Amino acid sequence: MSVVSFWRNRWLSLATTLIIILTLIIISIFSFMVLIVNKTATSLREKVDLVVYLKDSDSEEQIKALREIIESRPEVESIIYVSKTDALLRWQARYSSDEDLKNAVTENDNPLPRSLEVKTVEAEQISTVAEFLQNEDYSPLISQLSYEKNKTLIDRLVSITSFIKKAGSGLSILFIIISIFVVYNAVKITIFARSEELEIMRLVGATDSYVRLPFVFEGVIYGLLAAVVSSLILIVSYNFLNLPLSNYLNNIGYNVSAFIRTSVFQVVGLQFLISLLLGIFCSFWATREHLSK
Amino acid sequence: MIEFQHVTKKYSESIIAVDDVNFKIAKGEFVALVGPSGAGKSTLIKILIREEMPTSGRILVADRDIFQLRERELPYYRRKVGVIFQDFKLLSKKTVYENVAFALEVAGVFTSVIKKRVPEMLSLVGLENRSNAFSEELSGGEKQRVSIARALVHEPKLLIADEPTGNLDPVNSWEIMELLFKINKQGTVVLLATHNKEVVDAINKRVITMKDGKVVSDKENGKYII
Repeated sequence: MSVVSFWRNRWLSLATTLIIILTLIIISIFSFMVLIVNKTATSLREKVDLVVYLKDSDSEEQIKALREIIESRPEVESIIYVSKTDALLRWQARYSSDEDLKNAVTENDNPLPRSLEVKTVEAEQISTVAEFLQNEDYSPLISQLSYEKNKTLIDRLVSITSFIKKAGSGLSILFIIISIFVVYNAVKITIFARSEELEIMRLVGATDSYVRLPFVFEGVIYGLLAAVVSSLILIVSYNFLNLPLSNYLNNIGYNVSAFIRTSVFQVVGLQFLISLLLGIFCSFWATREHLSK
Repeated sequence: MIEFQHVTKKYSESIIAVDDVNFKIAKGEFVALVGPSGAGKSTLIKILIREEMPTSGRILVADRDIFQLRERELPYYRRKVGVIFQDFKLLSKKTVYENVAFALEVAGVFTSVIKKRVPEMLSLVGLENRSNAFSEELSGGEKQRVSIARALVHEPKLLIADEPTGNLDPVNSWEIMELLFKINKQGTVVLLATHNKEVVDAINKRVITMKDGKVVSDKENGKYII
């Protein structure tokens, strides 16, 4: 009966389904954006560390003592000592394809400073450790502290994520409200068209659930159809966008392609959930007036 | 069986559709509720089937106050009260059989029971040979008989007929009245609301007369006095 009703009012059904599809696509786009930016920010956070460049005049005992003091702090997760030799090897590996740069630093002429690479439990704690090291007890041993560049990038990403969440939530809520009214009106029109039948149903003693069920199914049909079409659009888009997006976000610290593939399934699941809830809620609301008084 | 206690229905201070109505109907009675248009007959019936709530008063049906019924009990109450109307209220896209079966389907009755019960009802109203006809193909009298069959399908103790002959010619009207008498003889209380003077004067039954929302007369073997 619900399928027959859907087909009989097919233009209305099409319009209703399109509005829900549009709503789902908007929610999906913003969900994806939030997921990817969040993941990127998290990945970058893991790469961030505080580098404590040491003066050439520092003795090994002073460096060892400084390392122990830093290690003892609760914010510090791990600490690596990079000797001049280690720094030289890193330099040579980094510029292996550029002979001039590679040979600019040698074992006999090595200006690269020793350093302590400090990883904190949370990225936000880096500044706490940095402030601690600016204390007059330790600063004489330190030539430079380096963490600002990555921190700025992360702060920007967090800010972008927050903006996307707010804008996405606002637009999504707007379209959900529009969808609710459109589906509600579509079901109401069907109820109106069948008002004679509904009156007789009540007269002969039909229960509320018996009267309501066909309309709930109709709402579910709107929702499911919209979710299927929207999911297909999402999956087709994924196939087109996966490679360019992965290349653009290359070396970001995680497998972008695999992450997007997993996210597609999460977003498809979200679409089905939202559209089903939308269909069921609107049908219940639309049928309320016509049930037993 | 049915007791109206100080039933009043006001739509506003100046529009009082039913005004302090009191009467009882015993088991097996046939009662004609008469009065001109606007007397309050249809409003009283709507209140009796819980389509409307009274402003004040009670109605007891089988010792149960029907206004104390919960929402979920209403469908079960309505199955015990058969109702037929002037405009028949049949589903035009369904056959005679399907219209009567509909009342059983909404109650969740098994198909096997429906297949047995519907022909019995159609036989009672004399339409056993018309079960495959669509309601659009029937005469007024036949349509009303389908309505009666549908109203009786749950074996109600009370059958309410709200102007059942209003759209029928005199011959069909009497056929319907005869059917109602037959049903009443089998033990069903019949409450007939009508403003058809000829029918009321001829049937020699209890007549409750309403005017301007009030009961102005209640007589056994009554006549149409207004």
